[in-house]
Amino acid sequence: MIYDVSHRTAFDYEQRVSISHHVLHLTPRPVPRQSCLRASILVDPAPTLRSEGHDYFGNPVTRLMVQEPHRTLRIHARARIEVAPEPGVDPEADWPWDAVAAGLRDGGGGSALEAAEFLFDSPHVVRDAAVRAYAAESFPPGRPLLAAARELTARIFADFDYQGGVTEVSTPVQEVLARRQGVCQDFAHLEIACLRSLGLPARYVSGYLRTRPPAGKEKLVGADASHAWIAVWSPERGWVDFDPTNDLIPAEEHITLAWGRDYADVSPINGFILGGGAHEVAVSVDVDPVEEV
Amino acid sequence: MSSRESAGRPDALPAATDLLRSYAAPAGGYDEMMAPEGAPRAHWAGPLRAVQAMTETDRAHARELARRALRENGVTTAAPGESEPGSRPWQLDLLPQVIDAAEWRALETGLKQRARLLNAVVADLYGPGRLLQEGVLPPALVYGNPQFLRPCHGIAPPGGQHLHFLAFDLARGADGAWRVLGDRTQAPAGAGFALENRVIASRCLPELFAAEQVRRLAAFFRDFSENLLQLSRREEARAVVLSPGPSQAAYFEHAYLARYLGYPIVEGSDLTVRDNGLFLKTIEGLKPVDVVLRRVASECCDPLELETASLLGVPGLVQAAREGQVAVANALGSGVAETQALLAFLPEVGRLLLGEEPILPSAETWWCGKPKQRAHVLAKLDRLLIRRVSSPSSILAPQRGSVLGPALSAAQRVELAREIEAGGEAFVGQEIVPLSTTPVWSDEGSLAPGPMTLRVYATASGDDYRVMPGGLTRVYRGEAAVTPWLRPGDLSKDTWVLSDGPADSFSLIKQAQQDRRLRRGGRDLPSRAADNLFWLGRYVERSEEAARLLRSLVIRLSGDGVSADPITLERVVALLVSQKHLSARRARRAVEGGFQAVERELWTILFDPDCHDGLARILGNARRTAELVRERLSLDSWALVGELTEVPERWRLSPGQELDDALYLLKHLIQRLAALNGMAMENMTRGFGWRFLDMGRRLERVVNGAKLMRDLTARGDPELDGSLDLLLELADSTMTYGTRYRARPQLPAVLDLLLADDSNPRAVMFQLEALDEHLERLPRLEAEPGLSPARKLVVGLGTEIQLADVAKLAEERRGSGLRGGLDRLLRRLELAMEELSDRVAQGYFAHALPQRVSGPHWVEMAP
Repeated sequence: MIYDVSHRTAFDYEQRVSISHHVLHLTPRPVPRQSCLRASILVDPAPTLRSEGHDYFGNPVTRLMVQEPHRTLRIHARARIEVAPEPGVDPEADWPWDAVAAGLRDGGGGSALEAAEFLFDSPHVVRDAAVRAYAAESFPPGRPLLAAARELTARIFADFDYQGGVTEVSTPVQEVLARRQGVCQDFAHLEIACLRSLGLPARYVSGYLRTRPPAGKEKLVGADASHAWIAVWSPERGWVDFDPTNDLIPAEEHITLAWGRDYADVSPINGFILGGGAHEVAVSVDVDPVEEV
Repeated sequence: MSSRESAGRPDALPAATDLLRSYAAPAGGYDEMMAPEGAPRAHWAGPLRAVQAMTETDRAHARELARRALRENGVTTAAPGESEPGSRPWQLDLLPQVIDAAEWRALETGLKQRARLLNAVVADLYGPGRLLQEGVLPPALVYGNPQFLRPCHGIAPPGGQHLHFLAFDLARGADGAWRVLGDRTQAPAGAGFALENRVIASRCLPELFAAEQVRRLAAFFRDFSENLLQLSRREEARAVVLSPGPSQAAYFEHAYLARYLGYPIVEGSDLTVRDNGLFLKTIEGLKPVDVVLRRVASECCDPLELETASLLGVPGLVQAAREGQVAVANALGSGVAETQALLAFLPEVGRLLLGEEPILPSAETWWCGKPKQRAHVLAKLDRLLIRRVSSPSSILAPQRGSVLGPALSAAQRVELAREIEAGGEAFVGQEIVPLSTTPVWSDEGSLAPGPMTLRVYATASGDDYRVMPGGLTRVYRGEAAVTPWLRPGDLSKDTWVLSDGPADSFSLIKQAQQDRRLRRGGRDLPSRAADNLFWLGRYVERSEEAARLLRSLVIRLSGDGVSADPITLERVVALLVSQKHLSARRARRAVEGGFQAVERELWTILFDPDCHDGLARILGNARRTAELVRERLSLDSWALVGELTEVPERWRLSPGQELDDALYLLKHLIQRLAALNGMAMENMTRGFGWRFLDMGRRLERVVNGAKLMRDLTARGDPELDGSLDLLLELADSTMTYGTRYRARPQLPAVLDLLLADDSNPRAVMFQLEALDEHLERLPRLEAEPGLSPARKLVVGLGTEIQLADVAKLAEERRGSGLRGGLDRLLRRLELAMEELSDRVAQGYFAHALPQRVSGPHWVEMAP
């Protein structure tokens, strides 16, 4: 499947901003099932300084510095991306989760070391006994890792209400667990905390989700979503994605932008400004399938 | 290292015996001074002899001198748990801890190796990562370490130096061997205190210091500074000390170091990143910064790429470091090597990274993330110090989450064991080193042993490290504590490293280069410093005006019998109200209450630190502001500032004061303030700093003068009711008026003298001319041609006053009792000065905090 993704962000400031710095995670990273055919980011006003690079996790990063006084800032990221079908995962054909956790505890080089990066607490994912207790139900001794993770994903979907406006980016996992409400990001952080509390590596994936208009309706412009889900590491299969918000294993409708330990590593736009006063942000995302030619 | 000291020679110490008679080192322990045979060790002979040669009066005098010096210099630290910074004076025991030359050499070699090793650890973790790949360090120590800052990975610091300044906490066990209890690689504290201890101890006990070959500290700091400045590629490097600001307990030390090194002390908002370079906001515009001596924790240094919630840093600093535009010391992220768990792996780490065996051992440490080590700790829980791996600690704050195994109850031990079983990677167990003891000089003059630890510092120097020949000895009160942090009542000591060769020498050529560079660094006036100097000027002037007013009022109350005169009382109270020292409600009650009530109110204004707009408050503001620019004040000025707040405090506490005592206090205070102003006039170079200080003073004088003039002359009959006498007295112009007119004060003449006479240093016109000159000399930051808006304001007012007809101003509008023209002019003056203050602030004091913007973290999905 080929998509054209368009992600527009508009900042409007009440007062003049004398200088602004931004770090963007808006260019899709290369992923085994996904290739980026082209990508660009337009910025208005033109930044004084702009640099492209990669962050610690290998995600493409764009850094901007606007040194001219400005009242608005527009960032428009566009990309054409090809996503290959998911080859199909048999969750039951995997190592017992407790054997994986024990193996990681004893160390081990290569890909296990890489996975160990995602074993510990991170700014938005702090483990505790409550999280562990919630997770443990799906992880009886000896159960295949992916099967248990699939069930955990389904439980979060079933136990939690998708509810915008009740949480913020800084809401701790513990509060989400207690409220049983949140948005995709909260569910991703919670599932990551669950897996890490059991000694399993889990990472945060930031990206887009294609949405379909209700039957018989025109698709609204800008109505698609930026999205977040997780991936868990299996020594057998490597990283496998799960989407607790939609109770599924992401296939052709999820487009990966970046991954990290949690939101803090990959937030799409992080910026600091001098001046500006109050400000408003408007975001619109379009994920359009490209007709086969 | 083993103890290789010979026992002392008792014959060399004939006089020291009575000092030592009651000295009883704990049996089985190691005493720094006494050999097991019961005689002092050889290297203590000299210091002991010198102490013994002093009379008890001399010793008491020295101790008092030290206490006074610490107080005057404002050497303070907040004790753990105290919210108010700077509230607890630093405690210094004058008797030094003494270490002999040969022993120091061994320690030095071991510490240099350790510094190289820790630098190699940080370089590896932020670079090739061999320690992880080869399995020498468990991933939890790095990936699970909050101080491993991923955005800093791959940044290559100049010269490969990540750690420019380190500290080691050492303890000597009963076997006489030194062990390292912990390493400080983030932003080690305490070196400033070590320096201050040396300065004070050598000043208070010159005879002691002169008797021995004690190695000096200055060369170490010169090396330190030189190494920092050489990190820059530019010829004229500019270095700053980045501090979290005066709300932090450690600010005293930050400012002290800044002053000593000659770097400006700045906060995050004083800096800005442009074109990937770091700049300091000065009153002359942005100046490039090459080196940052960081006293802010790494993760707080750049909200853009590190901890987004922190406003202590500078957005873009990580990128500036990445681009090699600025050197940060220590490198961002270097706190990763502070983890206690590293001690458990250090020998193996050394073999891999340096190919060397450790010279100096660490206190034995076991990391509970490894099954075998965990089992060992659990088995010996009652004999170990248990620490949390990632809990931050500083010299001033207790290490949270550290517990002494032996001090736990059985139930607590079971609970702790359970926690360690559940999450072992968060804990280490460490052997409890029975601390050696060193003599403490008690207030009674006798010596008593106290358990001690020693913090030693090292600085990068070329490819190697240099160790400070000295350090911070800390002595714990009470039972042999093993906590390497200070508690209230604990002491610090100067640390002497004896020299067996010639005095330290360093290249004179290098020194000359160094001096040239330091001078250049000291010339900038950061916007924040200008702001503080401006307000210092305002507060000092405000203090003086308040003291003069209160003195005049006290005189009127304490006079012969007039005191009960209700008209006088009412006028005194009215003035207190209009000068905002007293609320209208309290004033009414005071007048009703008569003389006693008014006296009580006056007393509150004079001495009560909680009285809003009371004298103590105003003086407190002056002092606090002075603290912020301490590095720009001379020692003498600082001592005067210190007295300003101490005097009323002492008086408040002494019982049975009379109005006459208050008069004496106020006279004293006015003299001190005059001395402070005189010092600024006579001793400060006419740089921009002086101009801001003086502008603040002039501006405040106009505001106060206008307010008083309005209160005392705009209504009624000031020629008859004594208002003009009071006004002249407050403006210190009674003499001038007397010699000029030889008559009772007349309003037009008084107005001329206090408003328009540009030869009277108390007249408004005089202040306006001074303000105009300052504004003219200050750099112009805005681009418009012609006079700046601030100067237009000042010149406009000056012209208005010069053109004014004082006789006409003095005329009362028929029947109304009000002098409208005078009232309006004086009001305009007050308002214009506040506007000028704002304009100066806008023009020169730009240190606004940045704010965060980010795309929403999620976008509502279509239903």
